[in-house]
Amino acid sequence: MSDVNDTAPDDEMLAAEMVLGLASEQDTATGRKRMASDSTFATQVVFWQERMAALTDEIEPVKPPARLKKKLFAQLFAQQRVSILQRVWLWQGVAMASLLFAGYLGVQLLKVTTHPDIPPPVLAAQLASDTSPLRVLAVLEPVKNEIALRRVAGDPIANRSFELWAILPGQAPVSLGVLPNSVTTRVAIPPLWRDQTAQMTLAISDEPIGGSPTGAPTGDVLAVGAMANL
Amino acid sequence: MDRQEIEDLIARVALRDRAAFEQLYDRVSAKLFGVCLRVLNKRAAAEDAMQDTFVKIWNNADRYNSNGLSPMTWLITIARNTAIDRLRARKKGHQNLDSPGFELVAPGPNPEQSAVAASEAARLSGCLDALEADRGQAIRGAYLDGETYADLAARFDVPLNTMRTWLRRGLIALRECMSL
Repeated sequence: MSDVNDTAPDDEMLAAEMVLGLASEQDTATGRKRMASDSTFATQVVFWQERMAALTDEIEPVKPPARLKKKLFAQLFAQQRVSILQRVWLWQGVAMASLLFAGYLGVQLLKVTTHPDIPPPVLAAQLASDTSPLRVLAVLEPVKNEIALRRVAGDPIANRSFELWAILPGQAPVSLGVLPNSVTTRVAIPPLWRDQTAQMTLAISDEPIGGSPTGAPTGDVLAVGAMANL
Repeated sequence: MDRQEIEDLIARVALRDRAAFEQLYDRVSAKLFGVCLRVLNKRAAAEDAMQDTFVKIWNNADRYNSNGLSPMTWLITIARNTAIDRLRARKKGHQNLDSPGFELVAPGPNPEQSAVAASEAARLSGCLDALEADRGQAIRGAYLDGETYADLAARFDVPLNTMRTWLRRGLIALRECMSL
């Protein structure tokens, strides 16, 4: 049997000890960093995670009480509502341009509305995430049934495409197409969806050039945002 | 459990699809609650761990794609680590386990390569049983009860370094058995 050093684990042992929660804090921190750059090591960690998770096969499922689900959804989605509001406020602070942009659209809308005293609501979304610098503003133009998009932060990724997705509650994401590399662009809203835009969430994913080969997002979600009334 | 279905649900949760999140909850919450109960052994604590687990799933679903784990392993690992963190938080010298599975992973492993069939669970059990009984118990104790080297050394009444060497030998034997 190979020698086992008393304190310093080799890679395979470090991977196993990380998964079991036996590695020291320092070894764990080092190991996590290595997972990002060393695919052999990452594979070893995955090997142990898969095997050890099989230990839970002998654990019988237990139905949690219904109030647990209620509490979870209340916590998660109450926060979500606040955060959409916060996003709109943040937006107003961060990107003056977007306000002017929305204002410009508002003026356009006023010209065609039959009740010029009551401006129709302007639907808009700020697409962002914690994991990517990409930020895109989306404003809905109901007259033309288009979404006007403006990239306010982040750059296109070489040899990759950004793909725009629309999601309605309870439905799988539907592609609205691959975005060009330009800062602004316009995308048509499919006719079936035109009366449901207020419930729509938009997302941008990182895809191979030309877009997802499967019809569903395959890469990381770089930015996401729900439509809200401005 | 249908792997492709769970994978699709996680992908939709990553896009902030609440209906998909609810479906995912309905599909896997009993399994994850079983895991939390097994680790924490107290209903109230297990319910708190479940709440944290599903908040993490909602917030980190977009990391699932790249981490190379099968979907149930990813979900179980989050539940197990969350429960172990709660268990250890009661003890001194607590260290947080909560992120394995959330870190970015170098390209290489993918779920197809690393997928573990149901028969693997039986094989793991067989391999654990083939180890000296104490070593098998120590490995289960670390994974399911969050025992540290110090806890295990106390339980088996051996010095810490002896415990470490001894358990690592057990892990090497386990890997060899499972790789056959």
